[in-house]
Amino acid sequence: MMRIALFALPLAAGALAAQTPAAQDTTRRATLTVLKVDIPPAGTLVAITNATVITASHGTLENATVLIRNGKIAAVGQGIAVPAGAQLIDGNGKYVMPGIIDAHSHSASEGINEGSLSNTAMVRIEDVLREDAIGIYRSLAGGVTTLNILHGSANTIGGQNAVVKLRWGLPVDSLLFAGAPPGIKFALGENVRRTNVPQIPGRTPRYPRTRMGQEELLREVFTRAREYQAEWKTYEDAKARRRGDAKLAEPLPPKRDLQLDALVEILEGKRLVHAHSYRSDEILMLLQVAKDFGFKIASLQHVLEGYKIADEIAAAGAGASTFADNWAYKLEAFDAIPFNAALMAERGVTVTINSDSDERARRLYQEAAKAMKYGGASEEEAIRMITLNAAKQLGVEKLTGSIDVGKDADIAIFNGHPFAPASRVEMTLIDGRVFFDRNKAPTLEALIEALKRRSRPNTTSGGAQ
Amino acid sequence: MIRRSVAAAIAALALSAPLAGQAPAVQPPSRPDAYAITNATIVPVVGARITNGTVVIRNGRIEAAGAGVATPAGAVVIDGRGLFVYPGLIDSGDRMGLTEIGSVPGGQDTQELGQYNPQNDVISAVNPSSVHIPVTRANGVTSAVTSAEGGMIQGTAALIDLAGWTPEEMATKGRVAMVMTYPRVGGGGRRFGGGGQGQGNQAEAQSRQVQELYDYLRDAGAYNARSNPVPQNLAFAALGPALRGEMPVIFDVQTEGQIRGVLALADTFKLKVVLRGATGSWALADTLAARKIPVIVGPLTATPEGDAPYDAVYAYPGVLAKAGVTIAFQTNDGGEGDARNLPYNAALATAYGLDPEEALRAITINPARIWGVADKIGSIEVGKVANLFVTNGDPLDVRTQVKHVFIRGQLMPWDDRHTQEYQKWRARPKP
Repeated sequence: MMRIALFALPLAAGALAAQTPAAQDTTRRATLTVLKVDIPPAGTLVAITNATVITASHGTLENATVLIRNGKIAAVGQGIAVPAGAQLIDGNGKYVMPGIIDAHSHSASEGINEGSLSNTAMVRIEDVLREDAIGIYRSLAGGVTTLNILHGSANTIGGQNAVVKLRWGLPVDSLLFAGAPPGIKFALGENVRRTNVPQIPGRTPRYPRTRMGQEELLREVFTRAREYQAEWKTYEDAKARRRGDAKLAEPLPPKRDLQLDALVEILEGKRLVHAHSYRSDEILMLLQVAKDFGFKIASLQHVLEGYKIADEIAAAGAGASTFADNWAYKLEAFDAIPFNAALMAERGVTVTINSDSDERARRLYQEAAKAMKYGGASEEEAIRMITLNAAKQLGVEKLTGSIDVGKDADIAIFNGHPFAPASRVEMTLIDGRVFFDRNKAPTLEALIEALKRRSRPNTTSGGAQ
Repeated sequence: MIRRSVAAAIAALALSAPLAGQAPAVQPPSRPDAYAITNATIVPVVGARITNGTVVIRNGRIEAAGAGVATPAGAVVIDGRGLFVYPGLIDSGDRMGLTEIGSVPGGQDTQELGQYNPQNDVISAVNPSSVHIPVTRANGVTSAVTSAEGGMIQGTAALIDLAGWTPEEMATKGRVAMVMTYPRVGGGGRRFGGGGQGQGNQAEAQSRQVQELYDYLRDAGAYNARSNPVPQNLAFAALGPALRGEMPVIFDVQTEGQIRGVLALADTFKLKVVLRGATGSWALADTLAARKIPVIVGPLTATPEGDAPYDAVYAYPGVLAKAGVTIAFQTNDGGEGDARNLPYNAALATAYGLDPEEALRAITINPARIWGVADKIGSIEVGKVANLFVTNGDPLDVRTQVKHVFIRGQLMPWDDRHTQEYQKWRARPKP
């Protein structure tokens, strides 16, 4: 078993230097303890027994067992025999749900916005991931197993996303979710307009500054992408003709353009679009542009006014990924209502609740429960909003998002119902490996105990340790 | 209407706000003097739960509460079968009435220029028409301590009820506390801004700011010791009640270092301290308990600073309460719409060690005591102001729905922006 010390400097239980109040800061001193990361063993054979299992796909099973073999869910249900040698997790009194999927995150990333151009389709979040971001660990401690790490919203066409699994402690490349289709961030409205950030004197504002400009930009770049696509087709056709007729001149390939490559992938349905958007008008605009160019929007992100045009969103087959109840933080968020998620779901939209923050990510289960409170979503629907629906929006629903045989064993274990007020995450598994275990985690309680032990004079004789 | 099933009279009253397609009501709704919530589980917060109880509200006050209480003639009756009655929730820190829309500068009225503004009274700037007020009270939050931000001394905070025609009318205590910050190494107290300076420079800047704060309070003390000083200094005069120990001083701080600094300051100037935020306070829990210094905890919707334990922010309210510190919760809502989530801050703390009953007290009777208004609000007791709400379950449970909200004995209409938008757009025909 490998161990990584992430936070070094456990200070000795030395005397408190008593000069300034700040110097006596035991909080600071004490928290610089070692957070050891145990690289969990591969989940070759694991059994979670006797638990309440919220499957997200086929209801909730009481007194059920989840059997995990080679990182995949091998069996779910009652009366499942536990093979000898299985790592046992006692699920008695516990609630097991699919690992939470956050469809909008900026965690674990060195940089978020390449906002110097209005189209940065060529940049990749994948290139700036950090495996040591504490947000990964804290999200795991909130039952999150998968993140959709998105580029920021500074420009109409942002960079390429990275779908990751929170394999805390493993090298950075291990974060990437193999099998997740590539995606990209679009953004509309206030953030793209840059009206909320100070203008730098002497610097020409970046086009576009309006929503109408944002539409024009989209049409412009996709028109160019089509031309680029056609240039490549012409080239490929000529190459094919030459294969049949060697006398033909060898065609010259078009100049490779990484920006346009990504856009062509969108046109060809190979790259998922996650579009930051707020107002109903701009959403309708985007859906129309996408329709005109023949592609789909995998997810409208934020989509705070989605409730006004839920029918149109459903008809376009776009997903909607929203906040539970944030509002009023911007002008375009002033019409946000907490009924948004439930109302869109009622009208047939695939809805998710996302975090867009390391803070909300670690209590996304509490956020999802708000869809029940506001608008009366069913419990299963609310659970799906942070699991199976998110998997669908990210194109990984065959791999994760529910507790079904054959899927990755991405699982969160709670001490009570995930939506109940006093519930917390006890354990989080990814591919059957335990990446978070509260019993072994450095909690505040453990820290206070450690401090008490340090400050207590050592009265035990012998001093064996 | 989606949330309630009530007597027709109540439904009519609650629906008095204009709905989509209807002409706005010109007449204000009639205001019954008396209500009776019958057959409900009453959770008084002080004392045991009462099953099959009746709460009688008359002329703004709780006239009776208990099992076997008769419904007075003429009272509007709300059938409380299967429902629960709780005292209204109190958010002990936000910017209610001062903010409207985050990205619109004109909608932000929270920060005065300069570092020392004890003479500013927030109550005069509370906008009774803020759309945040009805949205917040719709989840049972009936009172809030609202205050300014920025600088070292922000002025007085106000304890307001989330209903009323004028700021004065809303105020339960217009000047409930003086609000201060304590300088912090690494960039000021809460909302004090930070800097890219090195640690050494920061420590130097911090000790200079501390010196300034001491000097300022010493000068204010000297001023207040004089009789009829001329010329008058309104800023120093405003500190008089705090320096005489008559008015509590809220310190918006985070770290243990800041808290130690506040304790020393309190010793020097004999201040009656209420800590707020104070995520580092767990390290001093026994000291704070012994000194009877209350802590306004939260928001719990925050990530731990630096490399503190992952659950530090969720767990510290429980640590404080177990040590005997009186705690209350704040949302610190600066216009993002978090104030209505006050009970869910408390819920997070219960998941990490805080006793659920204490969590409920920390959003009702505890803040009422801390703010010196426990004779008026914070529990369901005869004679108290009828700030209460009716639910179908535990208010700490997100899934619970609020059915009715009373402030000062008046049933609040469901005329908040969110309910209205929902009704309007849910009725949109299929295109």
